[in-house]
Amino acid sequence: MSDKKVDEIVKELKELEPLIIQCSKCGTCQSVCPIYDKDLIETSVARGKLALIEAIYEGRIEQAGRIFKHLDYCVMCTRCKQYCPSGVQTDEIFLRAKSILRKTKELPNWQKAVLKIIMQKPKLLAKTAPLMHIGLKFGSKQVKEDIFKPLFGEFSQRNVVSIKSRPFTSKYGGLNKAKEEKMRVIFYPGCAITYMYTKWGEAVVEVLKHYGVSVYVSQTNKCCGIPAATMGELDLYKQVVNENLEWFDSITDASYIVTACPTCQYGLDDMGAKITGKKAKVPMMDIVVFLKEVLNVNIKPQEEEKSTLHIPCHYEHSKDNILKEFMGSITKDFEPLENQNCCGFGGTFNAKYYKDSSKIPQSKTQEIKEKDFKKLYTPCPGCAMQLSDALIKANLDTKVAHPIEALYEMIKLDQAK
Amino acid sequence: MQKVLIEAFEGMVGKQNCWSNIEDTMAYSYDAFPEEPKAPDIVVKPQNYEQISSIIKLCNENSIPLIVRGAGTNLSGGTLPVNGGCVMLMSGFNNILEINMDDLYAVVQAGVVTQKFADAVAKKGLLYPPDPASLKVSTLGGNVAENSGGLRALKYGVTSHYLMGVKFLDSEGNFIKGGGKPVKLVTGYNLPGLMLSSEGTLGVMVEFILKLVPPPQSRKSLLVIYSDLIKASQTVSDIISSKIVPATLEILDNFTIQTVEKFHHLGLPISAQAILLIEVDGHEAQVEDEYKKVADICKSFGGEVHIAKDDTERDSLWQARRDALSSLARLNPTLILEDATVPRSKVPAMMQAINDIAKKYNLLIGTFGHAGDGNLHPTILTDKRNVEEMKRVEKAIDEIFEITLKLEGTLSGEHGIGIAKAKYLESEVGKSTIAFMKRLKYGLDPNNILNPHKMSL
Repeated sequence: MSDKKVDEIVKELKELEPLIIQCSKCGTCQSVCPIYDKDLIETSVARGKLALIEAIYEGRIEQAGRIFKHLDYCVMCTRCKQYCPSGVQTDEIFLRAKSILRKTKELPNWQKAVLKIIMQKPKLLAKTAPLMHIGLKFGSKQVKEDIFKPLFGEFSQRNVVSIKSRPFTSKYGGLNKAKEEKMRVIFYPGCAITYMYTKWGEAVVEVLKHYGVSVYVSQTNKCCGIPAATMGELDLYKQVVNENLEWFDSITDASYIVTACPTCQYGLDDMGAKITGKKAKVPMMDIVVFLKEVLNVNIKPQEEEKSTLHIPCHYEHSKDNILKEFMGSITKDFEPLENQNCCGFGGTFNAKYYKDSSKIPQSKTQEIKEKDFKKLYTPCPGCAMQLSDALIKANLDTKVAHPIEALYEMIKLDQAK
Repeated sequence: MQKVLIEAFEGMVGKQNCWSNIEDTMAYSYDAFPEEPKAPDIVVKPQNYEQISSIIKLCNENSIPLIVRGAGTNLSGGTLPVNGGCVMLMSGFNNILEINMDDLYAVVQAGVVTQKFADAVAKKGLLYPPDPASLKVSTLGGNVAENSGGLRALKYGVTSHYLMGVKFLDSEGNFIKGGGKPVKLVTGYNLPGLMLSSEGTLGVMVEFILKLVPPPQSRKSLLVIYSDLIKASQTVSDIISSKIVPATLEILDNFTIQTVEKFHHLGLPISAQAILLIEVDGHEAQVEDEYKKVADICKSFGGEVHIAKDDTERDSLWQARRDALSSLARLNPTLILEDATVPRSKVPAMMQAINDIAKKYNLLIGTFGHAGDGNLHPTILTDKRNVEEMKRVEKAIDEIFEITLKLEGTLSGEHGIGIAKAKYLESEVGKSTIAFMKRLKYGLDPNNILNPHKMSL
């Protein structure tokens, strides 16, 4: 790399100094970092990563590219930020730093191609879904309902949720009108619900319709951009966030945007706003929060199975109690997990560091086993994928579901009466 | 570091537990004390005590400085490499080996995080009282090496009051055992006492026997609001001289109160010049009696007394105290937390002096701390990039310690000397004491490999 390019990288990293210098190196992040908990070394934890960025722009490490691997080795659970006494914006720093350091080492071509399809060719991605569905069906063995274990290659370690032959958006794309309409909203499903957890999408739309809310769904889902951001492709991330925001704003009679993936909400509404400087015209809200805060729905507890809840890292934590109350109102025998650590999925982190990623939820499955929970609820598809895999590996038959699925079942039962 | 030495370390602990590249070692160039970072030559993470012994021998034979590191939460630079060397990580030694319910002790490894230990003990219905503010992160090894205190120290004492036994390795890698499980034990030198506050300069500690106590049956928490800082401080010395020892007696000055409220919205009285947070605990009847006496003393100094009506209110009061440091940390990038400690009757004079110093040097200083045991934490908020201000900060710190010693206090109540306060040590203990410490250190560690440069050794 030319000296000029190195100087440029150091200069750009130096621009992060006002954010980085807020870190007083107290080490509190150690107590909440899922990777530190496993490795017990400083390069795994936020304090260490911040010190390394600082060391580059202060000239103590000369080859900037050498720290990329440490910045990349992060679940991006944002727990370090949530618990930081000094309020250091670790996620923003890491994403920006990775994007700057990306210049020292370009993304491998195959990763570039995958990103390009996911981010920029959503229609092509939707068309390949049936193929992936068939591929998974023939190239894997079924472990349990909707969960398969691929037989070949790198993925053969994992238990994965099947890719559906028909994406959620192709069935629900457009306006899904409620009978006695009192409001219209946009539902943003994200990639996981579009291609894998299509049932969650169905439940969201049908439940909303049941309560008199008409739902707009895009004909083709466009990724929230988080995978690009975590791979250091910040410009691409910015581009897709902007495109999504434009689509949201083009629908002028929706009062809210509803999501069922906290990471998508984080990517479009929280980190997205920081990186693009823009927000959608109407508020974005998790489906459960929307049901409780906007629609104020009252539910009579029914489910009898002993159930529990894992709260996703990217969930809007000021709303945690709403989620817990909602679960309590759905099922009589409910108790949230004591261990509310990160599940360790982290999207691209799971793809790149599967072995490390799969160790993280072990303490959680241990608790589920000890307390004999039959059902595990979590309102995040990433967490659901990771925990389904972990539960099978722990030889447990605990079912994983989104809270909205339980409510949808109750509504269907009521209607059948 | 020579390649052959790196290979020797790798041979002992395995390549996967040994780091010598700058992008790895630089992550061990700091602790929580703001100092110019200097990377060690090598970082090792031993997996068993035998490996620790081999590492010590290798360092000793080759005069490699050996810096033992737990969580690296020091506020005095105790785990900083000064001139390269080997950082040895103890984080993997994190097993609680025994909690004995009959004899009320526990056996633990040095890398156990204090909070995890306290929680495990609480689950068994017992209490491990030392509660340093960093307890969620800091390790018991570090707590012993620094003799950490905490909010409950006033009544329950600091780590030294709970250390019954220690297992460590000396500078030649030999296993040494001091103390034991009996409550009374006077066999030979008091080696646990020697290792306390030794800051990693005398040996590598691996295991401890720690005393446990029954938790108090009852407690009552008070928030007392003052319009005068000095009157709040006088209340503190009056409570102590009235022969009442609360479990906790904390003070927050106006600047700290405002800052905590700004960031955490706990409903604190922002116009108050000071608040005291007091907790009395023990037998129910005793608590009832003591809290009334304490409240009367507070009122006699113009304090407005509020009693926490339930656990939620109590928790929010203690949250205010716990949030003090973090709130101050949000104001300015560099935070220097001092640890000046004076006899309790001198707290009012010390509070006044800190106020005067802040004005004199035009610095932001928030003061809070364990007023009941005289351990104050004047916290200077600055920016290490501001060279001119850093010079004033240095002068202010010099003056804070000068006045502390004049008031017959000490440089450190719970954070240790490390690098931060090495230059002041002689003025507290005198030349001959330093010479004695040096003879002790060099007698036990002739090559001075164990955490050199700390405490001016």
